[in-house]
Amino acid sequence: MFKYILKKELLLVSRNLHALLVLFVMPSAFIIIMSLALQNTYSNKIDVKFKVLVTSDIKTKIVDDLISKLQNNDFFEIRYIDDEIKDKNILYKKGYDHFIFIPSSYLKSIQQNKDTQIDIYSKPESSIQNINLLKNLVSSNISKQIINNLLIQLDVDTKNTKDFTKSVLHHYISKENSMKVTSVQQSVPAWLIFSMFFILIPISNTFINEKNLGTLNRIKSINVSMLPILLGKVVPYYIINLIQVGFMILVGIYVMPQLGADALQINGNLGMIFIIASCVSFAAISFALVIANIAKQTEDATSIGGISNILLAAIGGIMVPKFIMP
Amino acid sequence: MSKVMAIKIQSLNKSYQTHVVLKDLNLNIKKGEIFGLLGPNGAGKTTLISILNYLETKDSGEITILGKNYEKYKKHIQSHSSYIPQSYAFYPELTTYENLEFFAALYKINPINIKEKIMTAVKMTALEKYINRKAKDFSGGLKRRLNIAIGLLNDPEILYLDEPTVGIDPQSRKYILDIIKNINKTQNTTIIYTSHYMDEIEYLCDEIAILDNNRIVKKDTKQNLISENTSVKIKLENEEFTINTKDGYKELTDKLSQLKEENRKILSINYGNKTLEEMFLKITKQDLRD
Repeated sequence: MFKYILKKELLLVSRNLHALLVLFVMPSAFIIIMSLALQNTYSNKIDVKFKVLVTSDIKTKIVDDLISKLQNNDFFEIRYIDDEIKDKNILYKKGYDHFIFIPSSYLKSIQQNKDTQIDIYSKPESSIQNINLLKNLVSSNISKQIINNLLIQLDVDTKNTKDFTKSVLHHYISKENSMKVTSVQQSVPAWLIFSMFFILIPISNTFINEKNLGTLNRIKSINVSMLPILLGKVVPYYIINLIQVGFMILVGIYVMPQLGADALQINGNLGMIFIIASCVSFAAISFALVIANIAKQTEDATSIGGISNILLAAIGGIMVPKFIMP
Repeated sequence: MSKVMAIKIQSLNKSYQTHVVLKDLNLNIKKGEIFGLLGPNGAGKTTLISILNYLETKDSGEITILGKNYEKYKKHIQSHSSYIPQSYAFYPELTTYENLEFFAALYKINPINIKEKIMTAVKMTALEKYINRKAKDFSGGLKRRLNIAIGLLNDPEILYLDEPTVGIDPQSRKYILDIIKNINKTQNTTIIYTSHYMDEIEYLCDEIAILDNNRIVKKDTKQNLISENTSVKIKLENEEFTINTKDGYKELTDKLSQLKEENRKILSINYGNKTLEEMFLKITKQDLRD
């Protein structure tokens, strides 16, 4: 008997196109989009540099030297225009993130070792980290020019002076046997768990339709134990959840590298992954059955379940990684 | 010789909190007959059918089904009866065969015999052409037939049909009524039939009970009920008249002879249809019910 109960439930899910889209296509899309979008957040590589425009109303070797020094960085794309541009709206007109204006007093300040002021203008959405980075870049290079100028005045050979910024190297130290943290490592399990909870849609659809169409009453009127009926609701969806786990892991391993992202690494115990997947699946199915039991219409279940899933995902480290949370 | 009883109900009571649905209800239904259960909305028909199918619990009373005690022999009674609800109680996304296969498994039919049982049910409801089609694509009449086919899988001795012709066209209705008559005739299945259509009840049922105000207010054979207040409506081209046949058919035969002599064309003769409805309205006081 159980074979036929299982067959019925699997046929119903396989013919529910919307459910299949939610269970397989939606999480795959999430994994791809979020992994690629968050690639730089998790990586040390910088693919997109912020655009910075530098203008000045003076044209001297010292400004050229400063520009050359500023251009020697990994984070900003520095473009210099030697026109006198004081309109700060150039940020929006020309699509720059930051705008630096070097005043005509700059040359004198460097030569006479006096205070100088260089203004940096940024769009309001610029992060404080980026602004600080740019300020440091500019101020450190001004300092270099001042020191260099002093050394020249003191008749010291500056050719052999060392740039200590290049002597300071940073190293990441990972825990023993731990994997490299990448956006794929975060996105695949996160959106996989999220999608497993969307098993709620096919479960509640079939369960509520059974209630509303009188099929459940018909089943109750037959001499049949409720245990196989309940298992018939749990086992097929457990199988579907495990298929989801396998599918999303394969997306992480094989599809993501094709799109230029890191491949998902699985170095842990596969048995543990199976146990965790089973626990998540039983939690998702139980949650779905509770919602299906409470809701009167499929629309109610979809909206209550959908909102609950999104809220739980927001606080559960799926939408916002735990290490970013306060 | 008196017939064996399929269902015996004594002093059945059922209430929902303070609302009394069935009060001290007594009813006997003979084996092998088609029993019509009539009643206005809220009379308690569905509650009674639900109790008999273990979908609702009774407050008190004695029920014997197929000679067995209702409480003690639940499994036996359930496996020898079948409930066909008013709604399309199957899976629209599955085909006829897949639906029947699932319910056949629930009825614990031996897997070796499942196909044979399915084909028998399909043949009885004339669904052969639609066996591999999804139920969601069916017309109302085909859906009703599939609903009935599912109920036939366990060869029930008692078949409960709760308004099985609601929302379908007259042709499909007639077809379904003939299927039900055929099931009763060929399988000797006791059929408990609820409907709001008087013509259906009159066409199908051997015995009729009218349920109103929580109790059976009238129960008799169809012949007895109709003969109490029988009339025949004759419709001519520009005229129609009704002749009461309660005291015999002399007046009717005289009138028909006269019409023949006058060479008048009879458009239709309507027998009994209205009288059962009139009788029902008279018994249930014609009040509009919720």
